[in-house]
Amino acid sequence: MQRLNYTFPASKTINRPAHVGVVGSGDLEVLIEPSDNNTANFEIRTGIIGFSETWKKVIERFVSQNDIAANITINDFGATPGVVSIRLAQAVEVSANDTINN
Amino acid sequence: MTLLITDSLVESLARERAFKLLDKDSAYEILGPFDRFESPHLVAQHIVPQYDDGVIIAKGTLNDKPTVVISIEGNFQGGGIGEVSGAKIAGTLEKVLKECKSGQLIYPVIIYDTGGVRLQEANYGLLSIAEIAAAIVELREYVPVVGIIPGKIGSFGGMSLTAGLCSALIMTREGRLGMNGPEVVEQEAGIRELDARNKQLIWKMIGGAVRKNMGLADIVVEDDVPNYKNAVLQIWNGEVELKNRTKQVDQFLSLYKSLELDQKITPEQAVEKFNNVEKTDTVGISSPQDLVNSRGRKWFDAITNGKQSISDIPSVLVADTEIKGKQARVIAVIPNPENKYYRARNGEIGLLEGWTIAKYVRQAIEEDSHKDNKRMIIPVVDVPSQAFGYHEELFGIYLSCSAAVDAYATARISGHPIVAAIVGNAISGAFLSHGMQANRLVALNDAGVNVHVMSKKSAAIITQRTIEELDEAAKDVPSMAYDIESFQKLGALYKLISGVNADEPQLADVEVLVSAINSAYEDLKQDEVPNLSIRLRSDIATASGRVASIKVREKIEQQWR
Repeated sequence: MQRLNYTFPASKTINRPAHVGVVGSGDLEVLIEPSDNNTANFEIRTGIIGFSETWKKVIERFVSQNDIAANITINDFGATPGVVSIRLAQAVEVSANDTINN
Repeated sequence: MTLLITDSLVESLARERAFKLLDKDSAYEILGPFDRFESPHLVAQHIVPQYDDGVIIAKGTLNDKPTVVISIEGNFQGGGIGEVSGAKIAGTLEKVLKECKSGQLIYPVIIYDTGGVRLQEANYGLLSIAEIAAAIVELREYVPVVGIIPGKIGSFGGMSLTAGLCSALIMTREGRLGMNGPEVVEQEAGIRELDARNKQLIWKMIGGAVRKNMGLADIVVEDDVPNYKNAVLQIWNGEVELKNRTKQVDQFLSLYKSLELDQKITPEQAVEKFNNVEKTDTVGISSPQDLVNSRGRKWFDAITNGKQSISDIPSVLVADTEIKGKQARVIAVIPNPENKYYRARNGEIGLLEGWTIAKYVRQAIEEDSHKDNKRMIIPVVDVPSQAFGYHEELFGIYLSCSAAVDAYATARISGHPIVAAIVGNAISGAFLSHGMQANRLVALNDAGVNVHVMSKKSAAIITQRTIEELDEAAKDVPSMAYDIESFQKLGALYKLISGVNADEPQLADVEVLVSAINSAYEDLKQDEVPNLSIRLRSDIATASGRVASIKVREKIEQQWR
């Protein structure tokens, strides 16, 4: 298991916390919660070691498209970068809309 | 225009399943992901945890009736039950029981998608499942406990033993209900016994449709949310007769006594046999020529002072005796090298053994029903495992284990003091069936006394680790270790007895064990309620052994509304 942390400046607040995904094969769970600081904080735990560069790129890309001040926690069980991006986008979507429960 | 879109439960994650089943906007989640109550034991083994530990508790209404749905996430660690996830299930059921007892009926629904005990937490799963089973047995007297097995994993291992206790079971064709997973049967018994890759055969043996045809499941539904809801309502409304399968001892026992295993019985033939059970001939089981002097037998003989067994199944010994002046029924499971169930010749709990335990425990309940002072029951525990075999799975070994659990739990609840004497191996489904429902556990501190959930070889295959890695992990996580001293660290043992000759008990050794049983008896008499809560109240449990289990229950209490 590897732990990764990233912080980026951010300005827009989010409405509500959201949770999506599952820590199952090739998948991950994402928790997104409002942050008081003007930052987007990422805390990642992944079962696949040695992909910090890839993670960094995926997160940077997400941040460039979503300016949100939030604490984002990820538990990953070997998701591909594509799946990670989709789950992150889904989490933002759920947080912005009134969809409940995944 | 009609939209022909089905709302699948099978394809949904556990949280979606729970909320879909409940009335729209009625439900809230207890101990949800934002509480971040993850498994401390997975992190200790460098395994990524999930914030809800794979069990979702949703409280709301179903058709306006107060309902709690407990939904197991099969995608996370194979739906395996660890300390936190297990405590979430047990704690919720215990809370529902408390509410029901105070007159507030709450209807529990359990959505099974689980391989059983989570091997990375091993004995925590075992303890949790015993607590879940205990709660279901008691709860069923107040409300129907409904189990749903949608698939894709289905229900396996110790959790199937709890499924067998449910008031009614709803399955899909995709769902499976068995004890030992096909891969484990193949590993333990060989590919000629069962080819785990033969998926068609597996579903014909243990799939939802065949389980319904055998009379082991109550309703089979097409995978669409309204169908599940209707099925639950049918059960609640009394449109489905509750079968109380685990109480039908004579019926199942005569079926299993009658089977001839010279040739493999096909699933079709098995369905036939289940449906003609009342026509089954009475068949006796003869005693073997060679008696195996197992530890279980030696201690049984020692405790009962050589009493003759009254059991009609040679692999289960039963005798009434006196322990320090108190009436007691002693029960042991021993090897029968001539058992026609050839996968149950080494003292395993198989189709016959579980039901036979149930028979003689229920006999004691019956005989003592009018007495204030009910006789003590002493399971002598020396059980290497449940039986791993084709016929065992086909004919529902899980239910044989459920029947034994039900009998012991019912005896305990109705006032029979139960003290389990662990003198040898206490393993997996066998220990759950024979010992784990006791008010108190006493064990011999001996290298031949082991508590665990699966042989190291099988555990290594299932968790995709080497045996060396498993041994390494066990050093940090006592629940994964096999020895009795590690088990003691979980706080469930009343007494661990050292300095006794476990293999060849002498008079003095027997006296030490009998005294321990007697002091356990005196101790359990102090309990206000005859439940298993001592395992969470002991000094070791509160200090270190069951910290998360206790905390989960506190959280459930706090968040309940």
